[in-house]
Order: sequence, then C-alpha cells, then structure tokens
Amino acid sequence: MDCAIQFDDVSVHYGGKTALRQITLAIPERQIFGIIGPANSGKTTLLKCINRTLEFTPAARISGKVVVAGRDVSGFRNVYELRRRVGMVFPLPVGLPLTIYENVAYAPRRAGMHDRSELDALVEQCLRSAMLWDEVSDRLEMLGTRLSGGQQQRLTLARALSHRPEILCLDEFSIAIDPITTMKIEDVLLELKERITIVLVTNLVQQARRLADRTAFLSDSRLIEEGETEMIFTHPANRLTGRYVNGEFG
Amino acid sequence: MNGPPETKSAEKEYTVRWSAAAAEASYPSLAAAFTAVMQHETDCLRDGAASLPPWEITCHLPSRAATPSTRPKYVYHVNARAGGSGGEGTEESPWWGLATAVEQLTLLDKVGQIKLRAGQTVRLAHHEVFTATSIERWKKVKENIARFVFLGMALALIVPMAAILTYLVVQAWPALSFSFLVQNPQHYMTAGGIWAPLVGTFWLVWISLLIAAPVGVLAGVYLNEYARNNWCTRIINLAVVNLAGVPSIVHALFGVGAFVMFAGMGRSLLAASCTLAVMTLPVIITSTREALSAVPIAFREACWNLGATRWQTIRTIVLPNSISGILTGVILQVSRAAGETAPILFTGAVFFSTLPEHGIRAFFPYGLGDRCMALSMHLFTLATQVRDVSPGLQYGTAVVLIGLVLAVNSLSIGLRVYLRSRKRW
Repeated sequence: MDCAIQFDDVSVHYGGKTALRQITLAIPERQIFGIIGPANSGKTTLLKCINRTLEFTPAARISGKVVVAGRDVSGFRNVYELRRRVGMVFPLPVGLPLTIYENVAYAPRRAGMHDRSELDALVEQCLRSAMLWDEVSDRLEMLGTRLSGGQQQRLTLARALSHRPEILCLDEFSIAIDPITTMKIEDVLLELKERITIVLVTNLVQQARRLADRTAFLSDSRLIEEGETEMIFTHPANRLTGRYVNGEFG
Repeated sequence: MNGPPETKSAEKEYTVRWSAAAAEASYPSLAAAFTAVMQHETDCLRDGAASLPPWEITCHLPSRAATPSTRPKYVYHVNARAGGSGGEGTEESPWWGLATAVEQLTLLDKVGQIKLRAGQTVRLAHHEVFTATSIERWKKVKENIARFVFLGMALALIVPMAAILTYLVVQAWPALSFSFLVQNPQHYMTAGGIWAPLVGTFWLVWISLLIAAPVGVLAGVYLNEYARNNWCTRIINLAVVNLAGVPSIVHALFGVGAFVMFAGMGRSLLAASCTLAVMTLPVIITSTREALSAVPIAFREACWNLGATRWQTIRTIVLPNSISGILTGVILQVSRAAGETAPILFTGAVFFSTLPEHGIRAFFPYGLGDRCMALSMHLFTLATQVRDVSPGLQYGTAVVLIGLVLAVNSLSIGLRVYLRSRKRW
C-alpha cells in the first residue's frame, strides 16, 4: 500500500493561533480517507497544506513536511502542477463568473487543452460525475453564478474533477446538497477511488462511516486517532473519539 | 399573600369606568371589580353587543367622586377579540382574550403587584393583532425623518448645479453658434470663437491620458494583485495617496522643473501633457485598485485552486469583472484634466496662437513641441486679461468647457451602466 499523502510533524500557526499541532499522518493511495472532528479542529487547514493554498493566507506559518506523490510539496517549483494534481472542493461553493461550460472547462483550458470536442466530452463527463448534467445540459451557456447553492456546490465538484486530479479533497462537499443527490455522488466517489485518492472532510459522521476506508479524528488541532474506519467507529482507542462518533459531544 | 395596606383598607372603593358606555359602578375591592368586569363582558358577548376595552378602574375614597388621574398608574393590554390564552399584558405582547386578562389581573392583585392609592387608576387597553405598537410608530417617525434629511441633502446638490448651468446658458446664448466653435479668437480675442483652445484642450487631454492610463492601470493591477503586504508596498501606497492630495499648482511647478527644464522639453504641448498625466496618475491608480478589490477574493482563490497562475486569473476573471470601474476612474480623470488650469499654466499653454481654420491642419495644428491654447486657460484670460470682451464670449467658453466635462462624465456613467449590466455575478 503506497502513500499518496504523508504529513510529517506538520504544525500550522495563524499569527498567534495554532491551527495544527504536530500532525503525523499517512493517507494511502486509491482509498477514501475520512477526516472528522468538531469545528475549529484544523480539518480545512490540513487540506490547504496539501496543495499549498495555505500560502494565500498571509499570516499562516507552516512547519514540518507534507509529501505528495513522494515529493515534499514545499520543493515543488511548479506549484500550479501540484494544484492541478489535487482537486479541491470547499464548503462555500464559488461559481466563477463564467458560463457553466467555461466553469468546468476553466482548468483544462489553462492547462492548454483547446480542442473543442475534447473539451465538450470532458465537461459532460465531469458534470455527470457531479450529478449536475441532467439539470444543466440544456443551459450550459448560463452563468455559473446564477445556479442555486446546491447546484453551485456540484459545479465546484465538477470543476475539481475537470483537471483529472490524482487526489481529490472534499471539504463538506454535501452541506447544500439534498440527501438523494448526495447518495448518488457518494456512489460516484466509490467508483472514483479505483483510480484516485479521496480525502473526505465531513461533519456527517455517518458519511465518513459509509464511505471511508480509513478515518482520522481531529480535535483541538491535534490528531487524536487514526485507523480503519470500522475500528474507529466500533473500538476507538481514545475515549474522546468514541464519544464524538456516538454523538455524545461536539 | 398579604396585600399592601392600601388595598386592605375597607374605606376605599374601586370604580369601574367603561369608555364606551357611561356606566359606572363601585366595588369594595379590585378582585370584585375584575369579577364584575368579566361578568359584564360575558353579558355583552351573549347579547351580541360590542363592548371592548379600554376600561379604567379608579381607586377613591367613598366620600369623594372617582376623579381618574390623567395618567393611569398601570397600563395593561389585551387583545380582546382573540381567543385562547397567553401573552404578557404588554403592548408588544397583549393578553389573549378577556378571560385571560381578568384572570391575570386578579392574580397580579392577589400577589400585590397592583397597589392603588386614592386617585390612582389601572387601565386595560385593547390592542388589535398586527397593529403598530408605540415602538413601531416611533421607528416609523425616525425612518421618515432620516429619509427626508437624505432626500433634502440630495436635492440640495441639484439646486446649485441647475442654477449655475441655467445662468451660464442664458448668458452665453447670444454667442453660442457653430461658428463660435470652429473660429479662432480674433481682434485681440474680443471676437471670434474658440477653435484654437478647443483643439488644444483635446490634444492635451488625449496625450496625458495616453501616458497616465497605461501606467496607472498597470501599476494599480500590480499593487492590488501581485504586491505582498510589506514595507515597500506600504510606502508606494502612501506615496500614491499623498500624490493625489498635492495641489495642482505644485504639480505645475514640478512639471516646470522635471519636464520643461530637466527633461529639456521646453514649454510645450508634451510637457503640459506630462504634467497633467502626473496629476491624474494617483487617482487612476487608486480607482483601479478600488475596482479590482471589488472582485471577491473567493473567485481568485477558486482559480488558484484549479492551478491557474496569477496572470491567468487576472485575465480571465478579475479584469473582465472590474473593467467598468477601471474605465470609469480613467474617464473621470479626463474631465478633471480638461478643467485644470494650473498645471498647464507654466508648462505649455499660451494666451494666444492662431491656427489654420480649414483643412486637415485645423485638426492637427500643434506639434508635440509647440505651445498650445487650452479652454480653461482661455477662459481665465478672457475673464481677467482682455479688455472690452463681450460677456457672451466669456460665458460661451465656460459653457463649452462645462459641456465638455458633463459629456465626458455622462459617457462614463453610460459606460458603467452598460458594463455593469454585463457583470457576471
């Protein structure tokens, strides 16, 4: 079992506030890796370390080593390639002020794909994976920003898939999506994990249990426990984990 | 629960007064009064007669008539038509139904919450559902005051503007004609038109714009999109802000030093345009930055997450959505440059020069090294330096200058409306 992402003693501070404390964690390849934990426990920060988007927060300081595909991310000269290898979906959906088609075709175009038929096929495939195709196939020229919140969230998912990432990071991807569509997307994720690594941050503990092969529990910027999802849910080593997954706190 | 001494005293009487009817009756205690009220209301309801609060119950000595004080000591509210129970008896939350009201009042009396001395009154008022409470009425008054103050201020802006324009146009009317625009000043500027200064202003503004707009917009993009927040950026920002506040006469003197003398341009169209460019630059930078920072940061982060470079993000997302603001800022500076006198006074404007009035030379009369006339300068000259000039000529020049500025501003407003209608979010 190879490791897609490895955190080696990673700490992150925002100014005087600590967001992550000495996280050491290995995320295996071609699996769904669940990350659960109460608010403000550092889940999103952990994702931002992977594709170095933490750099957009000026006050953030990171120490330790994050290894993606065998390479230390801080050593990537071409950070844009790193970001193309990692698809990101954040909880607040941001439809770019472009048409739906251009939203999905954005990353491939920036990466140099210009053949129209190739783009058409890719856009359709991504929108189908995100369960949005049936709703928007007849109005691809509409502005992405005009879609509803849940549709925009699926649009960001389609966009994250559009650059054919090797790692897909989902941060609360389903908060604005209805349960039935969420289930369909979850099925797609289970298919996708044959090819790519998925990191799933979720507040829905049961979603982690349904999907994740392994799960990590974060609390108060520390990694409390990490292991096989079934073990985490049935025989947690830490009392805090047990109470969290059983809904007794958090 | 012991009642207060006042209510114990047997000498007191409680008179119930219905507002609608003249009926009055006296009872030995508050509880008795409440019971009587309830009985009366029940009778009224059974008979189908309308009987609604307010009632007032006044405490008085038996020897004297009940003279209710003007302000009741206690005021409670009831929504008499409503059924059910609940409410707090306040105006915001009246009791639901008379039965509730009487029940609650009796309870309040029992625990000693209602203490009446002789001459004091307890009042139960009717409050319809969904009608304004006193707080809401006061809110409404304040709302109206605020609106009329703001409206007044807005109107106060229009009045002087309209007055000035009307006065100018009326005064200039005799002089305004097409030939006024296309003739050169004649007879030591006491006759003729304004062709030479008009063309001069046109070229001054265009050349200054060609210099200032690219530099200003690109610098604004750099400062807003690329520059890190370090001491160097902060110094540049400080310089830009201060430069925007420098009086135009100081810009003029700087122009003399830098362009006329140091750069060896001499007093010329080019030197004057450069001076105007320096004057407009900081505002163009600032308005560009404002326009760029109005584009949400989330769009940029979404693009960066997709592996787009900064330039790709700027070209595809940021600029298309901020171009209206950027252009508006630039165009407003055009009108400012057209109206300024001081910066061109020492750097390239002349009192008088004759130009060809016909042919292609009429439109390109000045070389970059020539001195030129300008409208603002011409107006100043006409108003202060020339004798026996007809007022029509002065006012005509002013009208053309103001008209030019208004036209440019309207253009910018139109452009902004058009581009905003195409905005993508």
